[in-house]
Amino acid sequence: MQPAQKSAIETPPIKTVHAPHIVLPPAVRRFIWRLTCTVISLSVVVVVWHLCVGTLLNAALVATPEATLAKAWTMIQSGELFEHVGVSLRRVIVGYVAGCVIGVLSGAIIGRYQLVADFVDPIVELVRPISPVALVPLAMLWFGIGEASKYFIIIYATVIIVLLNTAAGVSRTPVTRIRAARCLGANDFQLFRKVILPSAVPYILTGMRIALGFSFMGIVAAELIGAREGIGFLIMNSQMLMQTSQLFVGLLTLGILGLVVDRVFRALLAKSMRRYMRTDELV
Amino acid sequence: MTDAKRAPLRTNRTGTPIDWKSLRLDHVEKSFEGLDGQTYVALENINLEIRRGDFYCLLGPSGCGKSTILTLIAGFEIPTAGSIFTEGGNGRTALGNPGTDRTMIFQDASAALFPWLNVEENVLFGPKLANVRHENYAASLKNYLSMVGLGEHARKFPFELSGGMKQRAQIARALIMEPEILLMDEPFAALDAITKRSLQIELARIWQETGKTIIYVTHDIIEALLLGTRVGVMTAGPAARIKTEIEIDVPRPRVTTSHDFVDMVRLLELQIEEEIHATRAKVGD
Repeated sequence: MQPAQKSAIETPPIKTVHAPHIVLPPAVRRFIWRLTCTVISLSVVVVVWHLCVGTLLNAALVATPEATLAKAWTMIQSGELFEHVGVSLRRVIVGYVAGCVIGVLSGAIIGRYQLVADFVDPIVELVRPISPVALVPLAMLWFGIGEASKYFIIIYATVIIVLLNTAAGVSRTPVTRIRAARCLGANDFQLFRKVILPSAVPYILTGMRIALGFSFMGIVAAELIGAREGIGFLIMNSQMLMQTSQLFVGLLTLGILGLVVDRVFRALLAKSMRRYMRTDELV
Repeated sequence: MTDAKRAPLRTNRTGTPIDWKSLRLDHVEKSFEGLDGQTYVALENINLEIRRGDFYCLLGPSGCGKSTILTLIAGFEIPTAGSIFTEGGNGRTALGNPGTDRTMIFQDASAALFPWLNVEENVLFGPKLANVRHENYAASLKNYLSMVGLGEHARKFPFELSGGMKQRAQIARALIMEPEILLMDEPFAALDAITKRSLQIELARIWQETGKTIIYVTHDIIEALLLGTRVGVMTAGPAARIKTEIEIDVPRPRVTTSHDFVDMVRLLELQIEEEIHATRAKVGD
């Protein structure tokens, strides 16, 4: 085999003509793609919904998309919708924050002390399958029909999942990390505050995010209790008045609100908690 | 030994430095309860004397309980029987709870480092817990980071570091506490051969510079001979003991190809092989 020789004939340099198009960064392309998918899938839902009402579905029971949007628009203009949103949001936030605080504190104790866990686990396991709706009568009995009973329902919907996740995160701190901290002179309190709790952050945040969804599911149950306003009230009141378009506005509002709050939650955490999520362990 | 004072190695209760000459394990036994409810004797009758300033390598087949000895010395676990104490000018002092006088370097650096703190913050974790003023540790921070070659990487987070760099960070974090004894549990076992060798060379240098007592657990014969002043070979577990102890007075830097070195490798290989055969006989293989 002879080494490849350079061709005697001089080949002209290949000219490449660049089309004058802009190359978008992958993140932007991904965003545009996702947005397109979202618009298409929601449009399909609206079109199918529109076609089904009056044909497959009884128009008296299912409002058309146009009627729902028109109703939403009038409720926005009158400010009525914002009042309901405001009231429900306040209940969710107060109940959720209180539930998270209780859940993290009690979960931390349960995760840290096996003895406490052994005694508390049976209670938690027994209470866990009881849905927030099932507690409505009890809440009325205990707290009457004021705000307290609504907060109670939301707290209940939040606390167990936060508690379980916190306990799991706290008890799963690597033994090696605890020992390393001991060698560096950490006492019990420092160990908990500076090693175990930060190690559990990914678990705690996962629990808090799931609980956020639960608290929105709980709002309708909470507003079963003698509410005069709020989205849950709006939905149930519409059912009694056979106001299907208003009922659909309520459902839609609940969905959008939950989505927006979840996005805000994630955006806030992405910034503030980033260093605790940087871990090469599986979570 | 029940009446002995338990105190950190650094100072005793009156605040005077402890003048210890050697660390001794006397008839130490450690057993665990297995999942089947049976008592499993991991260590049986361990007698060790480690002199201050030694680079003592504990060598043995895997599962023989080498690491268990380290956890006992560190104070993470308490021996089932026997005692661990230092001897010296102050008489005998039983080792206290885990503390900064005996810092451990773990094999699993990802678990041992705090992933939410960067290298500098990891190294400063100990001094900050002790409320040492910043101007008092600023100089030693710089000193130890450059000693382990991480001066340029102080702001990096553990997940941005290679395996070798993580171990360097662990070593700096331990050294800044100025421990009397450095306990190292197969720290380089998970590293590639080249990184491993360069860290071994640096560790030997750090040991010479700082004069710390190092107790180093390994299953690598060449590593033990490259680093140690003494090597203790353990029998295969369960109920492991120290089988033999050899003194290594080969001058540093050590060369693996010298006659003395090769002879010692062979000697230790024979010892380890004996243990492997012993285990096979026990299992009935």
